[in-house]
Amino acid sequence: MRIEQSFTIAAPRERVWRAITDPARMAPCIPGCDAIEITGSGRYRIRVAVAMGPVKATFNLDVEVTEETPPGFVASITRGEEGTRASVLTAHSELHLAAIDGGATEVRYISEISIVGRLGRFGLGVMKKKAASLGDAFAQSFRARVEAEAAA
Amino acid sequence: MTRAMGFHAPVTLDEATALLAADADARCLAGGATLVAMMNAGLVEPSTLVSLRHIDALRGIEPVGDGFRIGAMTTHRETASDARLDGGHAAVREAAAVIANPAVRNMGTMGGSIAFADPAADYPPALVAIEAEIEIAGADGRRRVTAADFFTDWYETALAPGEIVAAIHLPAMPAGARGTYHKLARVAGDFATASVAVVLAMAGDSCCHLRIAIGGCGPTPVRLAEVETRLIGGELDAPAVREAGEMLARAADPVDDARASADYRRLVIPRLLARAIERARAGGAS
Repeated sequence: MRIEQSFTIAAPRERVWRAITDPARMAPCIPGCDAIEITGSGRYRIRVAVAMGPVKATFNLDVEVTEETPPGFVASITRGEEGTRASVLTAHSELHLAAIDGGATEVRYISEISIVGRLGRFGLGVMKKKAASLGDAFAQSFRARVEAEAAA
Repeated sequence: MTRAMGFHAPVTLDEATALLAADADARCLAGGATLVAMMNAGLVEPSTLVSLRHIDALRGIEPVGDGFRIGAMTTHRETASDARLDGGHAAVREAAAVIANPAVRNMGTMGGSIAFADPAADYPPALVAIEAEIEIAGADGRRRVTAADFFTDWYETALAPGEIVAAIHLPAMPAGARGTYHKLARVAGDFATASVAVVLAMAGDSCCHLRIAIGGCGPTPVRLAEVETRLIGGELDAPAVREAGEMLARAADPVDDARASADYRRLVIPRLLARAIERARAGGAS
């Protein structure tokens, strides 16, 4: 499934770039993310718990940055599993930062995600809605964090 | 990975809620129509099952004043074949009658269905349109919430951990009210692509009571008080109903899935509404 979302932050692009490429500042804004470990240059491992109704899943994900063009573009590949490989996830993601009027930044990301295994049996339509609402929650908390840093 | 799963079959509601309160990974088992399928698919792995089958207080449909109390363990078949559910209450009976297939209707229960809260299931819009209340039991006692407040998000409800649905209360309906449930599904027995529940009453040519809820087109049933207000007092002529359907379609947040695209769902909402209103005025499902 393809997820495409964007949001704006009232902070200059360089500042947003520094925050979004810093796993220690970015990961805590991911809903359900409770662990992050830097495993190499441009590589990290995160753990994310997701629940929808009675279905609960904890993903162990390895993120690898494959291309980085400061201060506006990151491409990455995420691979991981949940429930001792009951489901396997692969995602190809792109992140774009664009400077917009008034010193603000538009954050846009596109992710092509595939999930096979037990969660693949769950309705894709609803999963996409869930991904969108997690994306909104991330946008809100990341925006709040960067704007607070910019104001400080 | 398998591990031993506990199983309890209490005979009182208090025992059941105590067992559920004691273990966050315990699940209550109603008819099993959904839970067992999800366990088979590896989507849910309860530590313990608490069967509700032997709790008499959860069974049966009882008249209460001019309304009804439907025990959570009442099967779809029992609801679908109860002729007392007529007038406005027929919306719930008609919804029960089109759930899945006879085997599922013999197993599945109203409490189990609404607790799972599949957004494409048949009861949610019917219960919202007749303004039912859900009686919830937990280790700390009982509480009631309206059906509209019970369904909170995709597969999410107002149930707190350890709480179960005890009963569904259908309130008295206005004199002359007729309820109906109209479902669009790809094949008989499928979940709704989109559905509409309507309860209406006419005074001569003018509408004096109207409740509309759309199912399968968002995380929870779509009901708009302003749509109902606009139509009440009018004659429910085709252009007014069409406009109401378009307002509901704009308020909907449907998914794109194997059953239909989101755009298709929005397109059919006004047509389903027109048919449901026509059917309610003609006396219900034929």
